[in-house]
Amino acid sequence: MAVLQTNKLEKHFDGVYAIDGLSIEVPKAAITSIIGPNGSGKTTLINVLSGMLDIDGGSIVLDGIRLSRFKSHEIPMYGLTRTFQEVRLFNQMTVLDNILVVLTERNVFSALFERHSNLHFMRTEELLKKINLWEKRNELAGNLSYGQRKLIEIARALAMEAQIYLLDEPFAGLFPEMLKVVVDIVKELKTRGKTVVLIEHNMDLIRELSDYVFVMDSGKLLADGKPNEVLNKREVIEAYLGE
Amino acid sequence: MAYLIHLAILFVIYAILGISLNLVVGYTGLLSVTHAAFFGIGAYIVAILGMQFGLNFFVGLLLGVVVAGIISFLIGFVLSRLGGDYYVLGTVGFNYIVWSVLLNWQEVTRGPLGIPGISRPKLFGLDFTSNLAFLFLAVIILGAIYVFSQSIVTSSFGRVLKAIREDERAINVFGYNTLYYKLTIFMIAAAMAAIAGSLFASYITFISPATFMVMESVFILAIVILGGFANLKGSLLGALFLIFLPEALRFVGFTEDIAAQMRQAVYGLLLVVLMLYRPQGLLGEYKL
Amino acid sequence: MDLIMQFIINSLIAGATYTLVTLGFNLVYGATKFVNMFHGVLAAVGGYTVFFFTQTIGIDLWVSIIVGIIGAGLVGFLADRFIFSTLRIKKASNLVMFIASLGAFIVLQAVLAMVFTSQFQSIVHSVDSPRVYEIGSAAITHIQLLIIITALFSSFGLVLLLRFTMFGKAVKAISDDEEVAKIIGIDTNKIIGYVFFIGSAIAGIAGILIGFDTGIQPTMGLAILLEGATASIIGGIGNLYGGIAGSFLLGFVENFGIWKIPSEWKGAITFSVLIIFLIFRPQGIFKK
Repeated sequence: MAVLQTNKLEKHFDGVYAIDGLSIEVPKAAITSIIGPNGSGKTTLINVLSGMLDIDGGSIVLDGIRLSRFKSHEIPMYGLTRTFQEVRLFNQMTVLDNILVVLTERNVFSALFERHSNLHFMRTEELLKKINLWEKRNELAGNLSYGQRKLIEIARALAMEAQIYLLDEPFAGLFPEMLKVVVDIVKELKTRGKTVVLIEHNMDLIRELSDYVFVMDSGKLLADGKPNEVLNKREVIEAYLGE
Repeated sequence: MAYLIHLAILFVIYAILGISLNLVVGYTGLLSVTHAAFFGIGAYIVAILGMQFGLNFFVGLLLGVVVAGIISFLIGFVLSRLGGDYYVLGTVGFNYIVWSVLLNWQEVTRGPLGIPGISRPKLFGLDFTSNLAFLFLAVIILGAIYVFSQSIVTSSFGRVLKAIREDERAINVFGYNTLYYKLTIFMIAAAMAAIAGSLFASYITFISPATFMVMESVFILAIVILGGFANLKGSLLGALFLIFLPEALRFVGFTEDIAAQMRQAVYGLLLVVLMLYRPQGLLGEYKL
Repeated sequence: MDLIMQFIINSLIAGATYTLVTLGFNLVYGATKFVNMFHGVLAAVGGYTVFFFTQTIGIDLWVSIIVGIIGAGLVGFLADRFIFSTLRIKKASNLVMFIASLGAFIVLQAVLAMVFTSQFQSIVHSVDSPRVYEIGSAAITHIQLLIIITALFSSFGLVLLLRFTMFGKAVKAISDDEEVAKIIGIDTNKIIGYVFFIGSAIAGIAGILIGFDTGIQPTMGLAILLEGATASIIGGIGNLYGGIAGSFLLGFVENFGIWKIPSEWKGAITFSVLIIFLIFRPQGIFKK
């Protein structure tokens, strides 16, 4: 059953079609990978799905609701959250605050009179311990290493308690021990019945983790299916080699 | 001693301005150069209502807060769509427009002549006419504003402000309608500036449009920058330094006119040196 | 009908004045991508240099004008060497650069006021009344005609310089992407230094002409800069041609605006136009 669906989705920049009539169905409670050469529209897709870019055509079905226009701040209402490929933390805030900020009150006036509760704090502690960065909680996020920052991004997404996680290259540039932490988190999400959409380049990881794979090229769907079937297809290999 | 009280009152008024502007500039990252507009709105409302209708200072103060709140809501709504350079220029433009209204709407504001003879606050038999009593009142208001601001910046709301400053697009994705946050803090800061304005009008007892020009906004911004972005104690320090600086210059032996220019030169130079070597300001916790 | 003719002439004069400001402002913005407040005070530097050399020392007018232009250029160049280039190396944000330029602006403005007093002064001897040309019943003074001619020649000259020289190509490359320009072997720091010199010299020309037309005052720079910035925004900030078009458009809007609205609201009209453009067409009239 599809939990996230796109219908003839379109997004263009100055006449260039970054997403060109893309229709996909992302299965529920599974790990789906989106692969494709650089510039094939993967990150644009995530930006569109998370409301950061407006749709130029087609629609998105989220949680059974058809959407053609929505704002990025409405996205969590549909149980969707994301990470950023380029790591967008709140650099001049502490690691602790980077997590706390997504846990607390959304309503402006309630937020004015709210301080983070013990519950918020314990949840943050749990998440930071999971990524082994609890000791760094009082450091500024901008001062940490690339890998550590990447882990905090993932912890921040976990804090959202979403149903759908869009992870944009969560493994890129990580050392083996950190990589293992992220792999375990992704697997755990699946066992908890969450839907994960990954953008990834590492084929071994894709084989290991994915239940389903979409291959994009020039904004179009090139192929889709189970990882072993798809990754052996000639056009997929050519799309990569032809780069 | 009387002179020290005078300086202390000025310090309190500018500390309120600095603290409130820091909420917008230091915590939310919106480089607003229009604080003098709300300062002026507060001052003029107390002055006009007091002179024309004999209204009590405190009623005027509350009305000033309401009017500054409404106007800041409207202009804030418009300006919130802008970022970076454009936000700065937009706020400068708004300050200029408000100044122009104060100067040219002569039937109400008396234009360049200004409004003299503004009365000091009185409440339930309490009389704040003497400078010492006025200082007492001003310090209480500053204290309340400081505590309120401190509670804002340590609340969940305050944490979101900082996140907006760091990466507005990103915090959006986590379910925050950032427009509301930016508007709310802008309105709160404008209301505080209006309070400072009502204190100023009733203390000096004379106001004219010249006090509320763009350069005054720059001066308030200098208080924030010198003391440090996103640090309320810093704004106290900044106000203290910049209010007492011209006195120190006079003490050294400059004439009043030269001392006034020297103050400009020194705080201008401070801005340059800070940007070069300490862009977050003395006690600052945030770099632009 | 004659009234319209006079309005058109006044619009052209205003447009030409703004053009002289935007040329340098946009040139510098294009290469450095920050709102350079310092640009405004350079106009005052030009005006006061001529004032100093003709009135105080008594040197020939034309020599003084050339010294004024080069002086303004040099001051702008030095500000880049000592402040902005250092900030560029530190990869300071455009807002940090903006504040530094604001600080430098305040310092220089205060210094001018200390040396020349903050009074309004006239460069020309007030005894000789200006030559006036009549077009129908509309009139234009000699100096105003000169403003229009100078604006035309400056625009034309700058465009030629940027179009047909290696320097122009280098500026173009830096404006597109400073990092890439560096990689392909352009000495970006040197070129930006020249850009500051040329842009500032043109600001000096503007200041001198405005000085002859209406007079000089240390605080003249802010209004000049803000009007120039508004014209630049209208035309698309950083776009030289757009700035010229924006200047004349602003000139016409202001002058035809005060046909129906009292003239003291001219500034308010300007900044309303600025805010309207920032909101609805921040990219200017030309770009899609």
